[in-house]
Amino acid sequence: MSAPGVIAVTGLGSFVGRRLVERLLARSPHLRIVGLDQRRPFRLDGRVSFHRIDLTEPTVDGRIAEILERERVEAVVHAAFRNEPTSDVEMDHEIETIGSLHVMHACAAAKVKRLVVSSSTMLYGPRPDNPNFLSEAHPLRGHPEAHCVANRAEMEQLLAEWRVRHPDTEVTVLRHCWTMGPGVWNRVARYFSLPVVPMLLGYDPLIQFVHEDDCLHAYERATREPHPGVYNVVGRGVAPLSTLLRLAGKRILPLPAPILFRMAYYPSQAQTGDPPAAFYDYLRWLWVADGARGFDAFGEPVYTTKEAWISFVSARRMRRYR
Amino acid sequence: MKDPEVEEPRGDELLRALASLRLEIRSRFPERGPVRPPVGESEWARLYTDLRRRIATLGMSERSGEVDEFGMDEVVVDRARPILDLLFDRWFRVDLAGAAELPERGPALLVANHSGLLPWDGLMLCQAVERFHASHRRPRFLVADWLITLPFVQPYLARLGGVRACRENAERLLSTGHFVVAFPEGVKGAAKVFRERYRVKRFGRGGVVRVALETGVPLVPVGIVGAEEAHPLLFKWTTPARSFGLPFVPVTPTFPLLGPLGGLPLPTKWVIRIGAPIPLDHLAPDAGSDELLVSRLTEELRSQVQSLVDVALAERESVWG
Repeated sequence: MSAPGVIAVTGLGSFVGRRLVERLLARSPHLRIVGLDQRRPFRLDGRVSFHRIDLTEPTVDGRIAEILERERVEAVVHAAFRNEPTSDVEMDHEIETIGSLHVMHACAAAKVKRLVVSSSTMLYGPRPDNPNFLSEAHPLRGHPEAHCVANRAEMEQLLAEWRVRHPDTEVTVLRHCWTMGPGVWNRVARYFSLPVVPMLLGYDPLIQFVHEDDCLHAYERATREPHPGVYNVVGRGVAPLSTLLRLAGKRILPLPAPILFRMAYYPSQAQTGDPPAAFYDYLRWLWVADGARGFDAFGEPVYTTKEAWISFVSARRMRRYR
Repeated sequence: MKDPEVEEPRGDELLRALASLRLEIRSRFPERGPVRPPVGESEWARLYTDLRRRIATLGMSERSGEVDEFGMDEVVVDRARPILDLLFDRWFRVDLAGAAELPERGPALLVANHSGLLPWDGLMLCQAVERFHASHRRPRFLVADWLITLPFVQPYLARLGGVRACRENAERLLSTGHFVVAFPEGVKGAAKVFRERYRVKRFGRGGVVRVALETGVPLVPVGIVGAEEAHPLLFKWTTPARSFGLPFVPVTPTFPLLGPLGGLPLPTKWVIRIGAPIPLDHLAPDAGSDELLVSRLTEELRSQVQSLVDVALAERESVWG
């Protein structure tokens, strides 16, 4: 299959969805985008035909299939995932797991040629017994308390089963690590923007980032070119957490895990629906992914981990990041 | 219709006005000079700022920030080197032989016996190879899982070149040409009780041999004597250990008795013997799937390490040397 002329993007308002659409439209003048989301985006390009779709409705798969057929969609990018977990745990599951299932069913019914699914290296899970570089074949062990990670791990499992039943569709899964860059604003970025950054006392894991441009470049190429399979999308190099914070000139507050977890319990439950360990364990153990396959497929990333971090910090500093 | 020639000087005027405005602003706000250090800052104030900086980074403020992909920090290694050399030369008085057995270039998998609870044996072997091998390469040592889970220990071990012991890590290090030190006895070895101190235990499940077969690197047996007496393990105390989630609490002549001072190793005499490499080139790369061959090679390796330990014991005059 050559470069698709009509691309459907689910989750037009998500970080990946919005940025990818901007990028695709800027690069190719004859491309048409079919956007699916719960809410109409604030700004919409003329070449995007928008459809309001609620992935939690029971028969939404039929409606999506109908839209895909009517618009003659050739490739689907599934990016309808939460940018960060919410306290509505049930709804997150409905959207991320069941919603993905609906999208898969619709793709099968409409005989879509290519499906690109957004995923995360967080699904490997932070574990003390992880190897230093996790390959794509490593089991997705997730985190026992992070519900969004569990949802997506379940989604990936469903997708793997679906793939076996539908060999005609090229499926690309892009697992990207934490993105950093001037345009990133999510839970991770908020944590790093705290006036005093809490750290777990006695732990200083190696952290890996990918710059938003490199991440979206991989998505763009996966959408336009055939790259069936699973890929880790990461930046080159790693850096210890304390080094990154020192590089940004942040104040660090090292706290023993029990104290930090007790202090952060209620805010964390209220904001993310998970206990603090669901986030802080990612700053405790190793979960660095091996990006070699992704580098071969989508090209060498422009930014290393440290450069992505510096680009984030300097952009935040322009907006009075302290 | 306006003549463009009339418009031209007006634009010029505007530019000139802007330039003069800029000059005016500059003259009113002199450029900020370099920040001068505060005059007459007291000793206490400086101590306070220094302490605050150190507490915030918990003693890791001296690291360079440049780590390799496994987290080794050259600056930390450089800082630790004098201490490790002191331990090597004065504390343990290590007697080394056989450094020339290691290949001049390319990777090698060093397989040693393990003892003495704390990873002194790994650090001393790394020190020995770095100082006395012709290429002065620093080997990377594989660390058991339970040490990785300990707070404070893990970040420092990673910066000193320790890597979690697993197949993926070993293969990646070997394929990039490193010397890798492995202790296939694992926790069984570290936790040898005193009366079994010189007996080399079972070598895991043959993972070391399989990695060597797959990557085609030579296996180098190493015998280390002395580490077992540095922390002589009298017995394993299991009752209080469960509440801490540890496998056991080690009881040595010094450990629970003297508190943190018990972490200091006893100044025993060490002997390190590096044996001749076991060549694996003549075997097919898929020999790793032959379980019987792997277990035979593993046992051969274990017996070689055991005989190196026996030789080292015979050469050492006494525990305190």
